[in-house]
Amino acid sequence: AVNKAEEPQNPPQLGHLAIIKPLVYLTLRLSLPDALIRLPSGSRLCTRRSSGAAAPGSGATIFALSSGQGRCGIAVIRTSGPSSGHALRILTAARDLPPARHASLRLLSDPRSGEPLDRALVLWFPGPRSFTGEDCVEFHVHGGPAVVSGVLQALGSVPGLRPAEAGEFTRRAFANGKLNLTEVEGLADLIHAETEAQRRQALRQLDGELGHLCRGWAETLTKALAHVEAYIDFGEDDNLEEGVLEQADIEVRALEVALGAHLRDARRGQRLRSGAHVVVTGPPNAGKSSLVNLLSRKPVSIVSPEPGTTRDVLETPVDLAGFPVLLSDTAGLREGVGPVEQEGVRRARESCNFLATVVASVGAQSPSDSSQRLLLVLNKSDLLSPEGPGPRPDLPPHLLLSCLTGEGLDGLLEALRKELAAVCGDPSTGSPLLTRARHQHHLQGCLDALSHYKPSKDLALAAEALRVARGHLTRLTGGGGTEEILDIIFRDFCVGK
Amino acid sequence: MFYLRGCGRWVAASFTKQQFPLVRLSSDSAAPRTPHFDVIVIGGGHAGTEAATAAARCGSRTLLLTHRVDTIGQMSCNPSFGGIGKGHLMREVDALDGLCSRICDQSGVHYKVLNRRKGPAVWGLRAQIDRKLYKQNMQKEILNTPLLTVQEGAVEDLILTEPEPEHTGKCRVSGVVLVDGSTVYAESVILTTGTFLRGMIVIGLEMHPAGRLGDQPSIGLAQTLEKLGFVVGRLKTGTPPRIAKDSINFSILNKQTPDNPSVPFSFTNETVWIKPEDQLPCYLTYTNPRVDEIVLNNLHLNSHVKETTRGPRYCPSIESKVLRFPNRLHQVWLEPEGMDSDLIYPQGLSMTLPTELQEKMITCIRGLEKAKVIQPGYGVQYDYLDPRQITPSLETHLVQRLFFAGQINGTTGYEEAAAQGVIAGINASLRVSRKPPFVVSRTEGYIGVLIDDLTTLGTSEPYRMFTSRVEFRLSLRPDNADIRLTLRGYKDAGCVSQQRYEGACWMKSSLEEGISVLKSIEFSSSKWKNLIPEVSISTSRSLPVRALDVLKYEEVDMDSLAKAVPEPLKKYTKCRELAERLKIEATYESVLFHQLQEIKGVQQDEALQLPKDIDYLTIRDVSLSHEVREKLHFSRPQTIGAASRIPGVTPAAIINLLRFVKTTQQRQAAMNESPKTDQCLRNADRLQERQL
Repeated sequence: AVNKAEEPQNPPQLGHLAIIKPLVYLTLRLSLPDALIRLPSGSRLCTRRSSGAAAPGSGATIFALSSGQGRCGIAVIRTSGPSSGHALRILTAARDLPPARHASLRLLSDPRSGEPLDRALVLWFPGPRSFTGEDCVEFHVHGGPAVVSGVLQALGSVPGLRPAEAGEFTRRAFANGKLNLTEVEGLADLIHAETEAQRRQALRQLDGELGHLCRGWAETLTKALAHVEAYIDFGEDDNLEEGVLEQADIEVRALEVALGAHLRDARRGQRLRSGAHVVVTGPPNAGKSSLVNLLSRKPVSIVSPEPGTTRDVLETPVDLAGFPVLLSDTAGLREGVGPVEQEGVRRARESCNFLATVVASVGAQSPSDSSQRLLLVLNKSDLLSPEGPGPRPDLPPHLLLSCLTGEGLDGLLEALRKELAAVCGDPSTGSPLLTRARHQHHLQGCLDALSHYKPSKDLALAAEALRVARGHLTRLTGGGGTEEILDIIFRDFCVGK
Repeated sequence: MFYLRGCGRWVAASFTKQQFPLVRLSSDSAAPRTPHFDVIVIGGGHAGTEAATAAARCGSRTLLLTHRVDTIGQMSCNPSFGGIGKGHLMREVDALDGLCSRICDQSGVHYKVLNRRKGPAVWGLRAQIDRKLYKQNMQKEILNTPLLTVQEGAVEDLILTEPEPEHTGKCRVSGVVLVDGSTVYAESVILTTGTFLRGMIVIGLEMHPAGRLGDQPSIGLAQTLEKLGFVVGRLKTGTPPRIAKDSINFSILNKQTPDNPSVPFSFTNETVWIKPEDQLPCYLTYTNPRVDEIVLNNLHLNSHVKETTRGPRYCPSIESKVLRFPNRLHQVWLEPEGMDSDLIYPQGLSMTLPTELQEKMITCIRGLEKAKVIQPGYGVQYDYLDPRQITPSLETHLVQRLFFAGQINGTTGYEEAAAQGVIAGINASLRVSRKPPFVVSRTEGYIGVLIDDLTTLGTSEPYRMFTSRVEFRLSLRPDNADIRLTLRGYKDAGCVSQQRYEGACWMKSSLEEGISVLKSIEFSSSKWKNLIPEVSISTSRSLPVRALDVLKYEEVDMDSLAKAVPEPLKKYTKCRELAERLKIEATYESVLFHQLQEIKGVQQDEALQLPKDIDYLTIRDVSLSHEVREKLHFSRPQTIGAASRIPGVTPAAIINLLRFVKTTQQRQAAMNESPKTDQCLRNADRLQERQL
């Protein structure tokens, strides 16, 4: 709705240069990276098993971005553990592993969608001759956040792989006798630093709505588990209230739905592995498709001098100033045309309406932003005569651009970068990509575990499913000890002889 | 303050209460009649009896010292054994050839498996026990245990000598001083004093010193322990009044009948001593608002409830139930105390009201309108020692060769006590023969969880076992306690008989063989559906299905499977226990695979031993925060795994410790190459220790 209001009823008059129809509205959708979290208490080297995720060194295969955060030419992603070879074969869709300790160029693609991720150098280090002493793989990929995020998420989807804990690679190397003592001295500091960084990040992110959601889920799950545990430990001897199990069941199912919805939502964004959604909208023949093609540096949309060439919403993932972005080209907004184009217009409006609502609902998450982000871009500036008057002075703040000459592109990119940075956070600080992979990994793990919760069968098995699920959530939110469960049991029930 | 009294006169003939005919100095004529024992156990309760017999089974000449021989095997509180979590402990005690499970199989009057419908991992074996029979059977067993001597006497003090240089601790126990001044020497001493350390009984506003109604508390011993520097805490517990059986109107109450057939506690028994039809029922009644009223109107007369001493949250008195959960009906189970007992134990009515009000309250309850209280309920407050002062082998950090087991460590319950007793007995004996300690990991058994929780986390309320405390609950089941512990008990501790060991070996290999055979049989799902029509298997999948997966279905057991595929499965149905255990293994197979990985991770950390003599407060080679140092100093974790479970010990601290462990290992390796330096260092260490 916001968008519609902004849409001029009458195209702004550009003085005598009425022939120019330079209106391209760029709308940045605020979609916060749903990155989040990971919290320090879960980073203990040997947590109680109730923490769910496997203990380090237990044979799980771990992965992490090993090079620095932020934009860089090359990023190195490492895995360590018995499934490393398997992961490499899956990502490169190859039957055989590359020769050991030789750099090989491979096309990496997402094992779920088959979508290509990057052409990368891969190195295969079979254990014990590797950094950690286990089977290791290094992926040297192009350093854009979109690529890194894509590869990390692809790795996270391979069964048996999970994001590494703070310092876990080094610890494994140490455990396998691959480091000497002097090398290890820095390890504690490293872990301390990583844990601190994660804690700070977790704190920051846990203030947000997503953190709030996670904590809510974890609380619900802990309570449900406590009630199931109470039913196991005290159900026969004490008079627990009727329906304890039924109530837990209802809560678990509701949680499953909420988690499922959240993950599906996250996946929609994941298709492009992006945090931000940019929609180009405006009247017909303003050059929206030309702008999209210019920004994506490839012919995404057909362009022609004819108004109404684009009739559907076309989406393409691009890397804009280092930010992963999904760019949408839409049909020009006008009335009284054929049914096909009218449908395109409807979709374009819907896309904007959808944005408006999304923005309204996520706005609270972003402290720096409270309204929809909108860039007004006037195209075809090459048609303005240098000596003539500029566009009308009463226009809102805007940018001038010529898709034909490329003039004004740098200014647009800089403006976009600022907007995106405000929405996504600066990629050079913190590690949203890593935390996002972890976040996704644990939420998915939680959901998978919940699907094994079948209280009508073996209740010990059902409780185990909840324990595993809770372990995943508490890895994101902290907490998770047995005492917490017992506290709830004794708070909620009068049990004992 | 070393008590180096001369080798005191041997007190064998000092039985003042010879009314008990079974009491004799030694049941083993081969045992030398010297006043010197390998192991002395102080206390004849559930921890003491298990500790004494376990030490004797391990080959140690053992003395059991108790206030009164006729209270050995006394069940001071509820007339039942087992339950959820507690039944697991009993199976593990039995797997180590302990007593309580076998004796319960000979003394129960009502056997019932709890949680039948909730899955075999959480089945809770339980029985109402005839107090008199249990005591008789226990005393018979104790007095017939080779190498075990029983003697009456109250211990007043410990005899302490110089420490052994190769172990930590500021002194070493070498015997005990009795109240009459006599002394007995031993290589190891186990304290299982229950609620007797400065025990106080509370009824209403009255308080008087006693360990149990009618028994004197141990005050001198408590003082000795405090003087030695042990951190002492105080706990409380309680017991309900006993009611005359013939004063209860059972006809209007809900009756609970025992299981048919009865399931025995012990791996060595196929059945219990009594037929289901001869067993006694239990009855259920409820409290009502009038009970609440009496409690609330008389709080001023109830000092036990007012006190701040921590009581168990899960074994609350009726007073605390009314206070915490008002306006509810609370269950009261009326349990028989024995075959020919005239008493009924009202479980759920533990109280400390003044005696006259107890009967008034009880007669408000349905079925108990005319009930007569024979013995009032009472509260007990007693000292316990912070269990972070003991190692996982239950030896104290402060005093070498001194072991603690049972309520002295802050636990509650017969089964918890028995479990610690076995471990203390085994380790006291191993210590004498200079063998490595026998530690059960939390990945191996409920006993391990119990002891690890106590020694790393401590406890501020009486600690009771729950299955929810056990992270590997699906692996640590009542059915497989023998596979987990019997083999180790035989090899590492020597506390298991040859016969039991062979039985467990047979079972283990049969299970392994059975599982691999079940894995090897594969048919299409439609063929399975034809073979076993009642199975709800989906025939839409085309992949072959293993027999093991078919066995996972609730409606399938080994019998139906063997009927469908007689060869080679028929032979696995001949032993009923084997068939049932195969079914259980199949049920949990997929989860156990994942759990095994996690168990390995925990075990890896537990394999990394921290040096025992490390002084966390002063050591400079490890960079640790002051807070972490204090925590480590107090708990003295033995492994990296245990250290990482102590709240407040950070991952960075763990890495620093790890590094320290590796350095120490390297240094030791170097030392072994040059024994002279080793000796030098050891002398230096000894010097340092003396100065401390």
